[in-house]
Amino acid sequence: MPTEREFQIAPIVPESVMHNTKALSNLQNLTASIFGAAAGILGLESYSGFLFYLVFTVLTTVLFYAIRVAPTSLKAGHATFDTSRFFRTQYEFWAGGLFGGLAGYILTWTLFYGLVRA
Amino acid sequence: MARLPVQTIQRDPQLFYWILFPITVVMVLTGILRHYATVLMATSPKKLDQKTMREQRSMLHGVATRSNFHVLSGPSFRARRDYLTNAYETGAFLKSPDQRGQPPPNPMTDPGAMDGMMGMMKNNMAMMIPNTLIMSWINAFFSGFVIIKLPFPITVKFKSMLQAGVATREMDPRWMSSISWYFLCIFGLQSVFNFLLGSDNAASQMAQQMGGMGPQAGAQMFGPGVDPDKQFKIETENLAVVEHYSVLDGVEDRLLEGIMSK
Repeated sequence: MPTEREFQIAPIVPESVMHNTKALSNLQNLTASIFGAAAGILGLESYSGFLFYLVFTVLTTVLFYAIRVAPTSLKAGHATFDTSRFFRTQYEFWAGGLFGGLAGYILTWTLFYGLVRA
Repeated sequence: MARLPVQTIQRDPQLFYWILFPITVVMVLTGILRHYATVLMATSPKKLDQKTMREQRSMLHGVATRSNFHVLSGPSFRARRDYLTNAYETGAFLKSPDQRGQPPPNPMTDPGAMDGMMGMMKNNMAMMIPNTLIMSWINAFFSGFVIIKLPFPITVKFKSMLQAGVATREMDPRWMSSISWYFLCIFGLQSVFNFLLGSDNAASQMAQQMGGMGPQAGAQMFGPGVDPDKQFKIETENLAVVEHYSVLDGVEDRLLEGIMSK
């Protein structure tokens, strides 16, 4: 854990943290809605629908890590799957999308399921 | 356990065009309207006279000096601290120096205090009025229609919530009435608003309730009912206990260490 002194030498800029979090949550919200539409069109029901959401959200997160985070973070000497270069907590990055997008997913899932399987 | 046969209900396809789409469109448009109403109704900060402004700014000056002492050199910090402490103690920055030590005026009678309360009222109103209107609109026009089926099974407990206005005992709780589609929209449209209006929008009531605490913190500091003289005294003490060091202490060692480790 860095001390207060180290934070003063290399400060964390709140604006940048906000920007990173915002970019992540925007992606999560948008993809959750799109996955909902896909699940509804495919006509998935109950468990398979939630499983679909889980798998694709994890896939999105991994892709986000591989494309946006990994190139600079690995170069800076962080371990694989360590996102601390851009995000304060690991939890926020890896699991935040699952809960943040669930409501949007259920909405579009229900809508498209209802439209297709009328 | 014997599985119940899947219930199918013949529904008029027109239900979609006349119930589902109107409700969804109205919900999205209300969110957008709420966002722009909040933006337009936001009160611009009241213009302060010079003395009040000086009082607030010098307070902030003290806070900034205290929290950023590490970027100042030792003599520079001490000079600032001496100046601020002296000015705070003599009350040079006070708006009305002759009122020192008197109890602050009652916030309820102070006209300046009403502004903050009005702002909160407006926000609450912008949330309450559309919700009540839409709820009663849906209840008046669309109650009793079964419009859509949830793609996942739920327990019977949800029946009274999802099928409000549809008094059929044997119906699968997965079928939803129009009012429950409205509730689903309330929770799920946040991502749509994020996409349409940018992520710091005021469209969703969920975000409003969570963000409602934020802006008051700034107002609290200079709010009515707070004695500025006492705040200056506290700030004096805070400044006095700062043990000064600079980020540049030992910078040459760190630099050499960085070069050597390469």
